[in-house]
Amino acid sequence: MHIGRIDESATLADSWLHRVSPVSKLLAFALVLGAAVSTWNALVVGSLALALVAIAVSARLRWRLLLTLAGYPAVFALVFAFSAATSVLGGVTIVLKAVTAALAAVIVVLTTPYPYVFAPIQRIVPTIVGDALLMTYRSLFLLLEKFGNLITASRLRAGLTTGHPVRSARATTRALGGLLIYSFDLSQRSYDIMRMRGYEGRLHVTLPRSTDRRVDVALVTGALALLGVSLTWRLGYQALNPYSWVLPIVPVLAIIATLLTKEKAA
Amino acid sequence: MSEHTGHAHGHASLDAVVYVSCVRHSYEDGTTVHLCGLDFLVKRGQRVTVLGPNGSGKTTLLYHLLGLLRSHEGEVRVFGVDPSREWPKIRRRIGVVLQNVDEQLLAPTVADDVAFSPRQYGMAETEVVRRVDDALAMLGIAHLHDRVPHNLSGGEKRKVALAGALVMEPELLVLDEPFEGLDPASRDSLIELLERLSTEQGTTIVMSTHDIDSVPEFADYAYVLAPGGAIVFSGTPEAVFSQADLLAEGNIKPPILAELFAALAHAEADAPPPALSVDHAVEALVRWRRGE
Amino acid sequence: MSHIHIPDGVLPLWLWVAGWIAAIVVVTVAGRIASRSEARRKVPLIGVVAALMIVAMSSEIVPLAYHVNLSVIGGILLAPALSAITAFIVVLVLAMLGHGGVTVLGLNAIVIGAEMVIGWALFHAVLRALGRSRAAIGAGVATVFTLAITTTLVVGIVWLGGAGEAAERETGALDPATMRFENPFAEGVFEFGLFGGKDHGPDDYEDGDEAGRYLSAGRFAAVVYTLGPAGWLIEALVTAGIIGYVARVRPKMVFEGPLAEEHHRIPGDESGGH
Repeated sequence: MHIGRIDESATLADSWLHRVSPVSKLLAFALVLGAAVSTWNALVVGSLALALVAIAVSARLRWRLLLTLAGYPAVFALVFAFSAATSVLGGVTIVLKAVTAALAAVIVVLTTPYPYVFAPIQRIVPTIVGDALLMTYRSLFLLLEKFGNLITASRLRAGLTTGHPVRSARATTRALGGLLIYSFDLSQRSYDIMRMRGYEGRLHVTLPRSTDRRVDVALVTGALALLGVSLTWRLGYQALNPYSWVLPIVPVLAIIATLLTKEKAA
Repeated sequence: MSEHTGHAHGHASLDAVVYVSCVRHSYEDGTTVHLCGLDFLVKRGQRVTVLGPNGSGKTTLLYHLLGLLRSHEGEVRVFGVDPSREWPKIRRRIGVVLQNVDEQLLAPTVADDVAFSPRQYGMAETEVVRRVDDALAMLGIAHLHDRVPHNLSGGEKRKVALAGALVMEPELLVLDEPFEGLDPASRDSLIELLERLSTEQGTTIVMSTHDIDSVPEFADYAYVLAPGGAIVFSGTPEAVFSQADLLAEGNIKPPILAELFAALAHAEADAPPPALSVDHAVEALVRWRRGE
Repeated sequence: MSHIHIPDGVLPLWLWVAGWIAAIVVVTVAGRIASRSEARRKVPLIGVVAALMIVAMSSEIVPLAYHVNLSVIGGILLAPALSAITAFIVVLVLAMLGHGGVTVLGLNAIVIGAEMVIGWALFHAVLRALGRSRAAIGAGVATVFTLAITTTLVVGIVWLGGAGEAAERETGALDPATMRFENPFAEGVFEFGLFGGKDHGPDDYEDGDEAGRYLSAGRFAAVVYTLGPAGWLIEALVTAGIIGYVARVRPKMVFEGPLAEEHHRIPGDESGGH
């Protein structure tokens, strides 16, 4: 799931979107998600996806990672569309919706270090849940590293059989078993450390401020506009549907403009 | 330099910060660590090193000091209380850095991690910010302020953990293998920092280490553990490193200078007394050459 | 198929909102129960189990894109209250990585939570029948039944949403005048634009609500019940393997839960190291 590379992109890279406050980004995400969910017009969803691509391009996100992450749900959406949709266009719309929602989420996590993605959520859920949520992500990195070691060791012991499904499955199972034991010891040690460091419940994360509030406002306004367009098209479909072809032009132009300015800058 | 004898006066001594006597701990897999022999005593302001081979119970000893293990026999006193029962009473006075620093960093960013304890103890946010900035500056890692701990280097993580321990300005600092993963420059600056804490703030420091060379540089008292946890010897670094047999038995390789002087003493009847720092060694050898 | 790999925006609003509400209620209650005792010890425990499930879901067991969930194992080790919290955290983290939708998050949390709780209950029931020495077999059997049940739960959700039928109905926009959903394709705009005027008009899917509902949910069921059993079997084998191993190495953890034993394994020189 490329957690390491997502984290790298969020913490080490920099762009205008990285500097927007996390709360604004989550708000914009919710609005775009709303736009994707409320429409059933393939051209509207397609335009939303293109608008997100424009944003990703302007933030210079690694497109290959972005496509892998957004493509994963597309595969499942395809299965779902195949089994549930009754027309081709309906199926296309289902896939596009999934990709749009995933793109929006992935853009947020690729530009926001995970503590800042989850801190706003942590503040609104019960303490034990919020703290465990933050501990999950922290544990994830420790476990991934350990798992990598275990699986290498396990494969080596099994005699390095890439491609042999049964042995490879056995190696993975063994590694997972070892990882489970390690996990519980880790949890015990974490508790020890929390106790030693005076943990009383409630982990605290200081959210960074936005460097330029105008950018935040622009982002949220833009997302609001997307939701507006989506809802307008849904409500006024009779008058507007013949003009749906106009919609994709705007994000396509934005993508071209971004690419051009990027080239000029380089 | 402290000259106490280690076991005679127990925790009754007024300036004893730590006192451990004959503690036993059995692990689930059957390993037993019996920390007995000499008493383990640390006085206020002292810098104490715990030496011993793998499996000798160094970490077990430290875990007892921190109240993470509870002994069913013997006695453990830190600031006069049993840490396994009354840890909340004393925890603010103790800073800790354990071996696996990866696991010790709890909060998702460096600044939040260093701020962990002060916030849990309910300090005002302005005070927290001041303390965090001070601690980061003290370790020279102010630039890591907003970073996410898990993609720092091993040495950086260790410094962050240390900042998290120092932020409460502890009276007692407990360090388990603090030099692990540090490059030589960071190691030297850590020794310097500990030196400064000790002289300027009177911080009492207890550390376990494999870094034998750091012992004469840093410690003014050392304990030697044998496999199974027996505390077999205690004294000043000079006294400890003159016990070649004991060290060999415990699988501890003495600092190269100690070996040099021991070999000299073996070869030459008038060899100079051992010196454990380069400066002292040069001085002693020059004097010896001049025949003083 | 424990995950509902249903994309955002397919299920009707009422259904996923209901899922969210149910999940929030369950998590809040579970949070209350879990906080009653030893809350501080549970925080890192939930954290590692959730992380473990996410790691498992992200690593392919065979080079063929099947990933395990470890949800039954998580359930066996955590018992119901902590399981509910863990399930919510797992789907939340996955959703933010683009894996599983945000709107269906509530439903997903319910399904995974149910899987953990049912797995836990069945495992202990089977253990009572077979005895502790057969923990591995018990875990495998519990897993197969649990996954069969939760897959049915997923099919039930899709049926409730009337997936295909709902999708088609809502393909139309809401007509503000009549407050009814109308089909925009009736105008022929998209067919013309996207499929070169290929004609599939409204007649194809206006066969009446109930018929459409059974049709699409039935097709979905056919797909998951065909692909499903192979997955259940793999998951059962993995679960049996892991539980068997842990029951050997740390029996207390499996039979009494990880909070029962306060073992201290010290990293470094004194650790026993299994």
